[in-house]
Amino acid sequence: MTEMAESTPAAALPPARRSAVGEILNYRQLVAMLVVRELKVRYKRSVLGMLWTMLNPLLLMVVYTVVFATIMRSPQRNFAIFLLSGLLPWLFFSTAVLQGLTSILTNQELIRKVRVPQAVFPLSVVGSNLVNFALSLVPLLVLMAALRQRFTPALLFIPAGVFILAVFTSGVTLLFSTFTVFFRDVRHLTEVLLQMLLYLSPVFYDLQLLGQRSEWWFRAFRLFLRLNPLSYLLPLLRDPVYYGRLPSLPVVGIASLEAALMLAIGFVVFHRLAPRHIHYL
Amino acid sequence: MKNGEIRIRDAGVSYRLYREKVSTLKEAVVNRFRHLRSAEVFWALRHVSLDIQAGEAIALVGHNGSGKSTLLKTIAGVLDPSEGEVLVQGRISPMIELGAGFDPELSGRDNIFLNGALLGFSRKQMEGKFDRIVAFSELADFIDMPIKNYSSGMYARLGFAIAQDVEPDVLIVDEVLAVGDERFQEKCKARIRDFRATGVTFCFVSHSSEAAKELCPRAAVLHHGRLAFDGPIEQGWERYRELERGPTPGPQIEAG
Repeated sequence: MTEMAESTPAAALPPARRSAVGEILNYRQLVAMLVVRELKVRYKRSVLGMLWTMLNPLLLMVVYTVVFATIMRSPQRNFAIFLLSGLLPWLFFSTAVLQGLTSILTNQELIRKVRVPQAVFPLSVVGSNLVNFALSLVPLLVLMAALRQRFTPALLFIPAGVFILAVFTSGVTLLFSTFTVFFRDVRHLTEVLLQMLLYLSPVFYDLQLLGQRSEWWFRAFRLFLRLNPLSYLLPLLRDPVYYGRLPSLPVVGIASLEAALMLAIGFVVFHRLAPRHIHYL
Repeated sequence: MKNGEIRIRDAGVSYRLYREKVSTLKEAVVNRFRHLRSAEVFWALRHVSLDIQAGEAIALVGHNGSGKSTLLKTIAGVLDPSEGEVLVQGRISPMIELGAGFDPELSGRDNIFLNGALLGFSRKQMEGKFDRIVAFSELADFIDMPIKNYSSGMYARLGFAIAQDVEPDVLIVDEVLAVGDERFQEKCKARIRDFRATGVTFCFVSHSSEAAKELCPRAAVLHHGRLAFDGPIEQGWERYRELERGPTPGPQIEAG
């Protein structure tokens, strides 16, 4: 009898009995397993396997270092580090969103046949990209050592910064994955918007580097940057990695707030629309 | 309600049939979302009421498109009814199709754990079941092979082996006994009879009268989304044959 009790899955109780959040938490093992599946399938049959996640950004870094440091002669010291501290979190965000928004469609066979909280699919895409992102920080640290970048205690803030960014990314991915079910062109639209957003976010530049100009378009640009949520999320990594300092308290506060808000919006909208997905798949 | 009890009250599932399929934003904007208003409502299932007691075995019978799969999906919780209510008490083995959650690229071993997680079991719980599942499936030699290399019979065997070990209160089986060789089919039937003996509610969809008569004393016959008959299997099957022969009215389409 004790064995029976132990093997009772909390998740297989009737649908309406538990809260939506509790349901996702009960399925966290499934999310973990889907993350492992994604990574396993992605690196299957490749000789280097998971090493690619580290090799990939490393090769990218070598290219950027050569281009910016020697050919273009950037005025910034260690411009490669500056760039990568913005580019790696950006790549995590944009790849997770783009991959995640089709996750309901790619798992539709399953959704039609097995009762499972559908949010596990976009969330597992964020999870697998989070693993890749975390692994890509290893070669970044190696490069920092190689270029004699300062290592400060502020680097300890990185896990917190990554966590806040992951929460925000999860919210966006949930929201866009449910929209994509109803309108397939959300995907193409998002591709274009992300391309634009890359240049309208502090990835290749920094707010401090912009300086002041009085033209109207420049002021509009600055206003957009101030409203862009990524302007507060990207410094969470760049500040400790490149500037060797903790991000300022207002930045951390705003970033945490927008991450929590985004996740709440994404989750509520997803939860509302999910029962209707099956009619549109 | 007791565990294993199913209560269906005036349940209906409707689909919107769009005259024009609109799936891009541009089309929707150009039409000013007219498609949302002009859609016709198709009832795949309507006014169905059924009470299934814990431990009962019921066969859902009907021609293709009669709504039996839709009914099964609402019982499994994959689909919410558009009207009425469907209450299922206890743990459902919510597999509309055995092996539905399998990933062909992964090994049989990985798929057992993945499938277990889909059913809400932890890795630890599945480790306790693993050996029994492999033994039941008789696939020990192939368990580390990617299942895309499995035959369809092996696929179904692994699927059934997992579904039979999740200790359900309600077991839903949809046409799966048609796959696999005769010996394994017999093994599955024996396992289902064991379940019945322990009071597991059993919902079965089959086009084969022998399998249905063998396993289920009761039948619910669906016809164009309505419940046409509910009673003993022998009469139920007669009714089904009759409906299949007779002139069938077109599907119910009502303006919405």
